[in-house]
Amino acid sequence: MDDIAVRFEHVSMAFPGVLANDDVSLDIRRGEVFALVGENGAGKSTLMNVLYGIHAPTDGRVFINGRELTDHSPKAAIGLGVGMVHQHFMLVPSFTVAQNIVLSREPRRGRVFFDNAAARRKTLALAEEYGLEVDPDAAVEELSVGLQQRVEILKTLYRGAEILILDEPTAVLTPQETEELFAVIRRVVREKRMTVVIITHKLYEVLAISDRVGVMRKGALVGVRDTAQVDEQTLASMMVGRPMLYDKLEKTGTPGEVMIEVKDLTVRDNRGLVAVDKLSLSVRAGEVLGIAAVEGNGQSELLEAVTGMRKAESGAVTICGHDATGLDPGAIRALGLAHVPEDRLSTGVSRDATVTDNLLTGRHREKRFNRFGFHQRTSTIERYAREIYEKFDIRGSGTDVPVGDLSGGNMQKVVIAREFSFDSPVLVVAQPTRGVDVGAIEFIHRQIIDRRNQGCAILLCSADLDEVFRLSDRIVTLYEGKITGEFTGEFSKDEIGLCMTGGQRDKEAAS
Amino acid sequence: MFEGVLRSVFSAGTFNQMLRSATPVALAALGGAMTEHAGIMNIGMDGMILMGAFFGVLGSYFFGSAAAGVALVLAMGVLVGLFFALFVVKFKSDEFIIGTALNTFALGLTSFLSRSIFGAAGTKGNPALPTVHIPGLDAVPFLGRVLNDNSLFVYVTWALVLIMWLFVYRTPYGFWLRASGEKPETLRTAGIAPERMKWLASVLCGLLCGLAGAHLSLGQLQGTFAEDMANSRGYIAFACVIFSRANPAAAYGAALMFGFFDAIGLRLQDYISSDLTNTIPYVITIVMMVYVVVRSQRKKRRAGKRLPARQT
Amino acid sequence: MKKKRDWGYLGSLCISVLLAFVIGAVILAVAGFSPVKAYAAMASGAFSSARHIGDFLEYAMVLCLTGLACVLGSRVGIFNVGGEGQLLLGAVVGCQVGVWLNGQSPWLAIPAAALAAMAVGAFYALIPGWLKVKVKVNEVITTIMLNTIAASLCQYLAKGPWKNPNKNMVAATAQLDPRYWFKTLIPGSNLSTAIIAAAVVTFLTWYVMQKTSTGYEMKLTGQNPRFAFFSGIKTDRIVLACMCISGAMCGLVGMFRVYGAEHLYRSSVSNQYYFEGLTVAMIARYDPVTVIGLSFLFAILKIGAQGMELSAGVPNQIYLIIQTVVIFCMAAESGVFASLRAGAQRKKARADIRRKEEESHV
Repeated sequence: MDDIAVRFEHVSMAFPGVLANDDVSLDIRRGEVFALVGENGAGKSTLMNVLYGIHAPTDGRVFINGRELTDHSPKAAIGLGVGMVHQHFMLVPSFTVAQNIVLSREPRRGRVFFDNAAARRKTLALAEEYGLEVDPDAAVEELSVGLQQRVEILKTLYRGAEILILDEPTAVLTPQETEELFAVIRRVVREKRMTVVIITHKLYEVLAISDRVGVMRKGALVGVRDTAQVDEQTLASMMVGRPMLYDKLEKTGTPGEVMIEVKDLTVRDNRGLVAVDKLSLSVRAGEVLGIAAVEGNGQSELLEAVTGMRKAESGAVTICGHDATGLDPGAIRALGLAHVPEDRLSTGVSRDATVTDNLLTGRHREKRFNRFGFHQRTSTIERYAREIYEKFDIRGSGTDVPVGDLSGGNMQKVVIAREFSFDSPVLVVAQPTRGVDVGAIEFIHRQIIDRRNQGCAILLCSADLDEVFRLSDRIVTLYEGKITGEFTGEFSKDEIGLCMTGGQRDKEAAS
Repeated sequence: MFEGVLRSVFSAGTFNQMLRSATPVALAALGGAMTEHAGIMNIGMDGMILMGAFFGVLGSYFFGSAAAGVALVLAMGVLVGLFFALFVVKFKSDEFIIGTALNTFALGLTSFLSRSIFGAAGTKGNPALPTVHIPGLDAVPFLGRVLNDNSLFVYVTWALVLIMWLFVYRTPYGFWLRASGEKPETLRTAGIAPERMKWLASVLCGLLCGLAGAHLSLGQLQGTFAEDMANSRGYIAFACVIFSRANPAAAYGAALMFGFFDAIGLRLQDYISSDLTNTIPYVITIVMMVYVVVRSQRKKRRAGKRLPARQT
Repeated sequence: MKKKRDWGYLGSLCISVLLAFVIGAVILAVAGFSPVKAYAAMASGAFSSARHIGDFLEYAMVLCLTGLACVLGSRVGIFNVGGEGQLLLGAVVGCQVGVWLNGQSPWLAIPAAALAAMAVGAFYALIPGWLKVKVKVNEVITTIMLNTIAASLCQYLAKGPWKNPNKNMVAATAQLDPRYWFKTLIPGSNLSTAIIAAAVVTFLTWYVMQKTSTGYEMKLTGQNPRFAFFSGIKTDRIVLACMCISGAMCGLVGMFRVYGAEHLYRSSVSNQYYFEGLTVAMIARYDPVTVIGLSFLFAILKIGAQGMELSAGVPNQIYLIIQTVVIFCMAAESGVFASLRAGAQRKKARADIRRKEEESHV
């Protein structure tokens, strides 16, 4: 028992309508790096939130360093030596690094006053002890993501953590920052004998950093292995419950004329920084152009500028031969563009509106849905919505419930159904399968390729590189708002990975 | 004539008036700063002030002493703050609806009780708060006339501004308070319930707005209550909070600015219809709100040039 | 599904109104009145004479139009709290147009006055609307400031440039030519033919919001403006248009009050009437049909409370208290209900797991 840092005994966690953890029993040893992998929604984060005391498990028990976690609160878990770095950082943007690190356990002067000098001192001491250099006086909002993560780690160390949970720590990091993070993990495990639990779904990272790996599927722990004894293929099939063999997607036809043309486009992001830098690209009819990039390299802003959601600073966008620069989304749609946005909740649907209303948007002005051009024909609209609902195999309790009641995957199907049913010559698709279950992924991929084979020009962007590889005819890599490489034919993962991190591809070799 | 106007506008009297007009707004803005830091959009301050004004006079009327009035105001302030937090924090009701309802409720309740108890829409001549005379200050030219012989709460406000500023920026509780509004999850994952800070902020806001009302009725107007006497000061205080980014010291400054324009309006009444000069503080408030937004946008643009590192 | 939710709303409304009366009774008792007597006086006050019924209908009209004006804004996600100012300005300008046109045909004067009132109301709503849409300034504060400004401005106009020639009339404009007055429907009451025009406006507002594709666009804009913009709806234009129409409706109410009841402008044209309409809209959860229904309920209360003040000497402000307590009760009800439901769901989930375990042991 002495070398067991964490023990889960038959832990179940139920949320309304979902069993997020199903009878999980697991031991994590002291001084190991334990990787927890699984698809989106497999219950990894929930399990770790139970360990950190955020959720009280519906059933079962949790032991930390041999002592049971009875009071399910972060405070109790922290007291037992657990620290967690959440996927979305828990830092107050306007506070300084030192203030964030000591939050809730502030050094005091005269019992009531905050001792800023002591906070700085302790921060610097910690930073030196663990080799994590930070500026204690910098406001957190001005730090890069990698540095913010470092502050998060220091915060858990300040609170005396011996068990460190990292929830998808590499999702927003550049490869270099990921390497640095891994170096830190190795150091704290080796020198301080800490226990690290890392949640991820990137399998090569599991192999690179962990000692043991646990695989979760649909809330249950399906297996624990020594990392040395597994490869990506085994892990992948454990994750999805069957061998991960996609059918080959049939691609037919040859690219036609240019439908999307972007010329010298410069776009600024919300903070006023140049996110897209004098970028040019074009997409032909019957072709899927995939964008491969680490999150935050301008791909979101590029798509927003093409679809009219964001004003470009300079440059030109042409859709179907018409100038679309500076037009609003409605006008660009009228030119023949449909758009699956990257964030379906904030942009893709109206959660409070019914499925019918969500499917109707964009064509609600069409003659067939309106009497005299303004009076809505309710029954025609409902019939149309049901037809689409069935055609795209959306599963829920009918068309007159709010879209917000659907699962993430079905919500995404509503978006896909609406946008694909326009039969538009141009499609811009961002993150088509984020948070969608495997069956639906297959369905959505097939829809995309069908549209391609029908001669639609498709601009695709996804954080899932495998998806980009599978669907694209051509791939461009984006780094800091610039195109760093262009690939056709057989894609090489290594080369594309290199270009995504700023390495320039030899242009001649590409052509 | 123009010279006469100028001399009247920039006299010691004007600046003294500025101080008087600013005080109730400043007290309420201090309270609003608390809820603002806790991430609550509090537009119910007008009602809180009105209740403070009424219950101050009521206590003074019943017990024959302004101190008793203030004690009643403090008790009611806690109650109103708890009531507000019950809905906004506990029930997670729409802040806008609850704030507006609170304002209308306060209007109804105070008018109803005033008519029931005093038999009229208002009352006057009740025991009032004392004015404070600082010996020797009169010797200072100009400043002496501005700063001396003001109602007690004018000076109390100075102390409160300092205390609240220290509380927000120099104590751990202030850090928790700000974290509870800016990013509540950070507190929760640190083992502190952000709701507790929100409750605290609401109660502090109830107290401070109550004092603002008490100053209005017991101090400034010497024991007078009139229907709807808060007269949108709660909203002006809200604008001050936004303008000052909820910094207590800056909020006092913003309130002084409001007071200054109010005082100028009062001076100009000799030359222009008072109905027109009355609008000045409200116009200024709108200008202030617009300026805040424009300023933050400009700052963002500048920050964009300064920041070297990419963030997501 | 939809039906069920409506019953839930109706139930909580009934409970809230009941509770509000109970709390009102407590406050009455504390203030030294007999609640039974007061409520009896209130009931008889509302229905005792034809005159009261006329006043009640006129006030229901005011509540309904102002309430719908508020709904119109909230439907697209902007809170028009400035209706009071728009109403007052509409009243004073509408009145003055009638005064200027003195001697002309009513067929010219009344439409001109209505148009002027609507235009000034719309313009006055456009200011905060534009600031919200283009500059992103919080509309709640600006509209409230504009209310106070409008009230002072109207006061100035009524005392100064447009004042009544009669020296004894302070703070009032000149009286309208009686030929311009809306015909009084119930003698002695405020009820005039304006209510017919109001009914038409009400119907149109409801129809556009609930039945047309424009209403559909409004709904989407209010629910998720980013999504609406993404789908090609010109959200800025819709928000501004709704704000203008909302202001125009308020201006029109002001004009109705002048031409139907007061026959000149003075501050009694509106005593925070817009805020009462806004309260009705909130209680109705911004549903237009419910607003129409509740307008009648709260108009009865108001007129009853005024009757009660005359006959039993109880200040009519108890009406405001009861109205806002209804809001608090409904807010509390949904809060309590939500936490109860969450608790029940947790319990059910736990039971489900237990059952599953037991089954697996068998």
